[in-house]
Amino acid sequence: MRWDFASVFDNTDALLVGAAGTLRIFAICLVLGLSLGLLVGLGRYSRNRWIHIPATIFVEFFRNTPVLVQILWFYFALPILLPFQISPLAAASLGISLNSAAFSAEIYRGGIQSIETGQWDGARALGMRWGQAMRRIILPQALKRMLPALTNRAIEIFKMSTLASAVAYVELLQQGKLIASLNYNPIEAYTAVAVIFFVFLWPLVQFSYFLERRLKRDE
Amino acid sequence: MAYEWDFSPVLANAPLLAEGLANTLKITGTALVCGVVLGLALALLRLSPRRFLSWPAGFVIEVFRTTPPLVQLFWFFFALPILVGIEMTPFVAGAVTFSIQSASFFAEVFRAGIQSIERGQWDGARAIGMRHDQAMRRIILPQAVKRMIPAFMERAIELMKTTTLIATISYADLLFAANEVSQKTFRPLETYTVVALIYFVVIFLASQIARLVELRLARSGESTVH
Repeated sequence: MRWDFASVFDNTDALLVGAAGTLRIFAICLVLGLSLGLLVGLGRYSRNRWIHIPATIFVEFFRNTPVLVQILWFYFALPILLPFQISPLAAASLGISLNSAAFSAEIYRGGIQSIETGQWDGARALGMRWGQAMRRIILPQALKRMLPALTNRAIEIFKMSTLASAVAYVELLQQGKLIASLNYNPIEAYTAVAVIFFVFLWPLVQFSYFLERRLKRDE
Repeated sequence: MAYEWDFSPVLANAPLLAEGLANTLKITGTALVCGVVLGLALALLRLSPRRFLSWPAGFVIEVFRTTPPLVQLFWFFFALPILVGIEMTPFVAGAVTFSIQSASFFAEVFRAGIQSIERGQWDGARAIGMRHDQAMRRIILPQAVKRMIPAFMERAIELMKTTTLIATISYADLLFAANEVSQKTFRPLETYTVVALIYFVVIFLASQIARLVELRLARSGESTVH
């Protein structure tokens, strides 16, 4: 067996298109997932049961089903109920974003609950309303504690983005498949894709280790 | 126009879905057993003071934690068989991928558990004449395993969710059966909804059991690692 990466380098353009697709869906899901997660996390923290119960159901449902099932549901099942088609990007983004929202909601909730009640009391003593106290006093402190877990979520989202290939969204793995089938070089094509993912993700993983160490040292 | 839900074509294919669920449990069970054993081996190698043992183990753990599982699966299914010249069934490719992938996560759980045991336990074992591996097997691991149970169950549930990826290489797991039934019945909405609910019931039950075990451990004053 001779390795021949020339056939992969000849397809650099296809891989660049794939990388752009991966980064696009990663960015969409990161922003949607983490911001929606904050809303849901605050919802789970709410004392109003009309907010609390739906938020809890949402979290339990999306945490306890596989993300690939969610993506395929949005792609194949949801359009039956809608008057329009759903693109592969939209279906995959919905699945990954809602899944990440459910997981990050738990991170936000844990982070907020870890802040001592004295901080709330202090904020109230200064005349702050709940929303002000949350925004100015609680969240900034909680965010620091949540940062390592949120970075891990970002890494998971990046890895999950490959599942979009199951609905034929053009991203790195999908392009790897294409190159492998056109050039009969699955070894080189899939190895190249794996290496590209490693290169993207390794710095993120090291960053999360650094954040975890710093948090452990500070507390 | 309101859509008329009709679950009867899906229910008529219940045997196909049941077989899919059985295959999902089969691949999960296989990968779980292999993953835990391999994970323990990787953790012990990584904690070894000898660099020629700890570095390769650390490398394997990092690579499999840092690349997407679907890429790993495609590599083992499409690339490895050509490289080593053997046939690879979807089940074997999935079992190998998910075993090594979950092992690299289990290894970190084992490592955290082992490192959480106080130094005094090692000293005590040495004081009564035990060698490193004896102390590990008889003193450290039995205590560490108890602390690792919650993290361990969490990973096992993650593993079950990850096994759905095997449907993409045409192994007849529950998700693959969903695809088949929806094409047969032209009822994708009902089929995927039913299958999502089946996954939810199985995984939710497993999560609740994990939660109960964690509560009981916490009540008995046992510290846990994550």
